[in-house]
Amino acid sequence: MTDRASFLAAIRSTPRGLDPGLPDRREAPDAPTQLRAGEERPDRLQAEAEAASTIVHRVTAVDVGATVASVLVQADAQRIALTTDLAPFADDVQAALVAAGLTVTEYVEVAPDRARAGALDATVTGCIAAVAATGSVVTSAAGAGRAGALIAPTHICVVRDEQIVGGLHELFDGDALAEAGSLFALQSGPSRSADIEKVLILGVHGPGNVHLIIVAPD
Amino acid sequence: MSATREDVGGTPLPPGWAKPAHQPDAFELTTTTFAERAAKTMARPFARGAIANATDHAAALTTARFVGTDHEALREEARKIRAHAIANLPDYLDQWIDQAERKGTIVHYAADESEARRIVAQICTDQQITRVVKSKSMASEEVSLNSALEAVGVDIYETDLGEFVVQAMGDRPGHVIAPILHRTKDEVHELFSAMAGHELPNEAEALTAFAREGLRHAFLTADAGISGGNFLIAETGDVLLVTNEGNGRLTTSLPPIHIALVGIEKVLPRRRDLAVLLPLLTGHGTGQQITTYVSVSAGPRRQGEPDGPEQMHVVLLDAGRSALLGGEFEEALHCIRCGACQNVCPVYRQVGGHAYGWVYGGPIGAVLTPLFRGQEEAGELAQATTLCGACDDVCPVKIPLHDLLLNLRRRSDAEGHVPRHEQVAFALWAQVWSRPLLYRASTAVARGSLRALARNGVVSAKSPLLRRWTAGRDLVVGKRPR
Ligand code: SF4
Repeated sequence: MTDRASFLAAIRSTPRGLDPGLPDRREAPDAPTQLRAGEERPDRLQAEAEAASTIVHRVTAVDVGATVASVLVQADAQRIALTTDLAPFADDVQAALVAAGLTVTEYVEVAPDRARAGALDATVTGCIAAVAATGSVVTSAAGAGRAGALIAPTHICVVRDEQIVGGLHELFDGDALAEAGSLFALQSGPSRSADIEKVLILGVHGPGNVHLIIVAPD
Repeated sequence: MSATREDVGGTPLPPGWAKPAHQPDAFELTTTTFAERAAKTMARPFARGAIANATDHAAALTTARFVGTDHEALREEARKIRAHAIANLPDYLDQWIDQAERKGTIVHYAADESEARRIVAQICTDQQITRVVKSKSMASEEVSLNSALEAVGVDIYETDLGEFVVQAMGDRPGHVIAPILHRTKDEVHELFSAMAGHELPNEAEALTAFAREGLRHAFLTADAGISGGNFLIAETGDVLLVTNEGNGRLTTSLPPIHIALVGIEKVLPRRRDLAVLLPLLTGHGTGQQITTYVSVSAGPRRQGEPDGPEQMHVVLLDAGRSALLGGEFEEALHCIRCGACQNVCPVYRQVGGHAYGWVYGGPIGAVLTPLFRGQEEAGELAQATTLCGACDDVCPVKIPLHDLLLNLRRRSDAEGHVPRHEQVAFALWAQVWSRPLLYRASTAVARGSLRALARNGVVSAKSPLLRRWTAGRDLVVGKRPR
């Protein structure tokens, strides 16, 4: 059995290649995954998310519950779970769903039983950030869980305006990821495959019906 | 673990589905020549057309993705990051291991392919793992992991739609990003209908749904998930995985054990380096802004988290990589497996991935295969290029594939493998000449290729991606025997 010491020793014994040094410029090079000058974050987020087949809703805090309820009614979702990172909106969402005649469970209760989690129709989550230039929401193991945002055919994610970062550089240089736990994930639109003759199919292993609710400041 | 297995949702796949009559146990590298393998693909008109179409499509999307940005500066930054990471590989690996272990990851060390197989098989035996869901991993193809696990009684479910088809057909992936590029919908339809025991609708949607149901059941009942890794982040001990289907994250989230098999060259120093590498990996791979699911994990589930594996194992794979460090082929280790060089390669576009005889096709396959498998077995692959340089121009981390291929040719000539090469070059050339259509295609590539392609709306001859290619480099298909 090769152990750490001998494994690394074998690598260390090789000659050293040319090292151009680690680039560490303050201004990152231009990339499509960054905000362009003059762009507003929620606008770019909406545009990129829609380009990735996400359905975007822009609301104020008072309308979050009703928006979630109408999406779930339309999707005919019966088994619905909320994750803990929905916290600021959880009570409102819960109330709106009950008013719409839907029953709701907590993902933390469902998750330990894979079969139950796998049978969910929809999950409603928050996030730890959203990336405007890639149209992504960023979820964490500590919040939405590892699978909470993609286990069911419908996923609704709620993001507050102040959680939106411009691009990937801002995400990785900022502190949004600090408390993510054992995993963080960027998720950008429905699950997709074009493996069979390049025909695009949405909803392969993850959700095909993906909604993003962007909550404007009051 | 298997008591409640059959009643959890999804539809179990029929027993024996993963044991097709034809199993690709051994790679064809040693038993056939490049020309023989190429001829097999070229004899299938669909495969040839499909490969060219799909690769055109991918190349065009890549070009479009970076319009209006300083693409060159981004590539240069990426090149430096990769060169720095590889030049300091032992230090960054050391740092990665410290961080990963601190977060509870169990790290294993595989010096070669057989050790990798032994380690994973041992984990399966120790943990009584009998059912595994697997997310696409080229490293696992390199070490032929599946057959090793089957030998210890593990049922494996490839969960990437394309890989699932490959597995059930007893095939090999034909492209690093799009494994069944060379297969038709009709072939998939026939396969899935046979598995289902009844005729399924011959539509991509219905066929996908069939696979989803079977694989959903597998996800919900598997004892372990096995994945590769696109990057390892030294400063945080992270393993990063990208998939569009979501199978990668389900593989690493639902089963109680996650095992990742990752090549040592995948290390990046910092998370922030992802801001440079991710857009390039995705943009050059599929032309998307970002891959749908980018999952970054370090260690098993922690206290208070609702789901996730109880154990996370990472098997670090050397298998010929460290031997390239500090030598004339070190830059081959900078590769991030985006597949772009395949898409623009006039040879790959004609012959497809299988012709390369091992795991990787196209220019990077022509470089890596002789380096990993030896000159004797694979030296002829260095001849399977036109040396047109299109791959250099498209590579997101600026690997000088053209020079590496020339060096390989020089080396193999010096080692006296000349006669076989000439045979191969001639055979390839003869294949092309003996087929009028193909000949026309190849001369289009060789002479007016960019103009011809541009007319079809494929690539712009002014594309910054292909600037050097358009500068009038001589294109030749194969070599006439002297
Ligand atoms: S050699 Fe470059 S273009 Fe080819 S797969 Fe690797 S990174 Fe992509």
